[in-house]
Amino acid sequence: MSKSDTVSLKVEFGGGMELLFSNQRSHKLTIPARVPLDNGTSGLPADTTDENSKPADISYLIHHLKDHLLKERLELFYENGTVRPGILVLINDTDWELEGEGSYILKDRDEIIFISTLHGG
Amino acid sequence: MSCENTGTIEKDAVMLRRPKFDRSKLCVKCKLNPGNVVIRHSVFCKTCFFPLVTTKFKRGLDPYINPKSDASRRKTLKASGNLLLSFSGGLGSTVLIDLVNQCYLAPFAVTEDGKPKGGKDHPRNGRVWKKVTVCYVETSSAYSGARDRLEDVRQVVNQYQNVEFIPLRIEDAFNEDWWTQNGGRLGDSTLRVELSNEDLPLSAERSPKSQLPREALKQFLSSLPTQTAIITAIQNLVRVLLLHTAHVTESSHLLLGTSLTSLSIAHISSIAQGGGFTVREEAQEEWAPDLPIAGSSLPKTGQIQRKNIRVIRPLRDVGMKECGIWAWWRGLHIVGREMSKHGKQEIGSLTRDFIVGLEADYPSTVSTIARTCAKVESKEEPAGATICIGLHKLTIARPAQRDVQGWKSRISIRSYPFDLTDPHLPLHTKSSSIVPPLGASHSSGVPADPLATLTPHLCYLCHTTLTSRSSRGTAGNGALPQSGESVPLPAWVASRLYKGSVSSEPDQPIGEIWETTKMDEKDMKNVIAEYLIPDE
Repeated sequence: MSKSDTVSLKVEFGGGMELLFSNQRSHKLTIPARVPLDNGTSGLPADTTDENSKPADISYLIHHLKDHLLKERLELFYENGTVRPGILVLINDTDWELEGEGSYILKDRDEIIFISTLHGG
Repeated sequence: MSCENTGTIEKDAVMLRRPKFDRSKLCVKCKLNPGNVVIRHSVFCKTCFFPLVTTKFKRGLDPYINPKSDASRRKTLKASGNLLLSFSGGLGSTVLIDLVNQCYLAPFAVTEDGKPKGGKDHPRNGRVWKKVTVCYVETSSAYSGARDRLEDVRQVVNQYQNVEFIPLRIEDAFNEDWWTQNGGRLGDSTLRVELSNEDLPLSAERSPKSQLPREALKQFLSSLPTQTAIITAIQNLVRVLLLHTAHVTESSHLLLGTSLTSLSIAHISSIAQGGGFTVREEAQEEWAPDLPIAGSSLPKTGQIQRKNIRVIRPLRDVGMKECGIWAWWRGLHIVGREMSKHGKQEIGSLTRDFIVGLEADYPSTVSTIARTCAKVESKEEPAGATICIGLHKLTIARPAQRDVQGWKSRISIRSYPFDLTDPHLPLHTKSSSIVPPLGASHSSGVPADPLATLTPHLCYLCHTTLTSRSSRGTAGNGALPQSGESVPLPAWVASRLYKGSVSSEPDQPIGEIWETTKMDEKDMKNVIAEYLIPDE
């Protein structure tokens, strides 16, 4: 796989979210640049075309984190194909709501931050 | 003609989701920088975000600092006492302590020669509170398998200068030593309550130190009827511990890290549990304690220091999202707070899931909940003397409904396996029970026996918390309390319960317990023997 076939990312967790991810706050990841439309994380099938694949986006990253990095309590991170309400996502220090949320196409060296607000007052 | 417009109708039927932000991606404040965060459909850049939160925080606190509340912030801020900050390790309280430090405790601006700008006597350079204390209540004893976070919290608090730290444990609520060291007064017995009976009959245990506080806490919590009741009881025990600590530290203000989102959750959850009568007090209240301060000489009756404590939530206009972003951009470490893994079906958790989900798509609606609740007032006048001494408003004089039991019996349909005309039936079976005010006298002039039952002194919420069982079974260990089985009550209940029975003798400390016991004829004769005219 050449370098352009992958995307290197820095993923950080805050607000107590790191406890679900081996208590490690910062992770460096490399994910495929093209991924299945259904966000499956076991790799692209051999007959991959542009029609049955898409560029890696935040939705895929969430699935990737759920399947490969999350260590416990899935329900505190993932719900209905996206992050659970109450988890903030920053893309390069900017609210993901300004960047199209899950449909934001990931670029090389992007910094994605997940912050939990579920620990209340 | 075919029905061509069917598709149009279906399209119209789907409510369009409002865009996450209005207008452009530029900051709505400076109108120059690209936005970094969306707060209730408005876009702010990172530079404008910090003053936005600070302004909201100060707007929620400044007008209530001076003894005489004043909306004008031009006056010098000077509190009448110290400050107690409640710290849970959660997001809100972490942001709260950071904001208080930044706005009120940070070193004064200095001139080039190192002196405070405007001179040391300039009002701006004075301390608003003489002393600032942070109180943390460790709740791990209340949850099985929970991690003790006390040392993590101590590390966080130690980062702040000029701040004292008071760590407590939730079992201190049942610790008579803690209660007496903090100005409480005890009798020679501990109160226990029978939760299997709706009248909540009380009994006194003569050997007060027979049970460790932690065991007493566990017995109390495991006897509660539902998971909701357990979580509510834990919150209320923490709350009362904080109130007493505020009193002991001579604080005029107790600040809680309740954000706008948490406040909306608290409102809905409280109303769902029967706390609708005190919706307004949920947001802000004032407590006039009538207890002596530890270490001070015993107060004489009539000499009790009444210094009001304002319970304020300065983050009540700041949403959870703003708190999360603030904490991240300021590099604050969130210790996290214990959340029950078993209470997903309890009202608090269900409400939190609902409100947090609502906030993701309709953030303004969550804000509307809190703002609307702030305006809600009960149609009925509160019963002045009926101050709940239960769990919820244990010591704080929140209003309670009149004749709660009577109202409860009117709204419930019940069937009993016994004859309702029997005059010896328990109180709650009467069609309308008249609730005597705390410490009041019966019409006969005989003092009411405070040791009879707890029910008449509870508000609807507290009574429901202690007695209402789930139709799906019990919480805790799954065993209902057996008839006649009693559980210990928190250490302070006795002194509040007997407050109305305090001796009027000037040299008696407050909180002396009077107990009424039935004497047999022979004992009565002995007591009055010297006044009896001997039989000729």
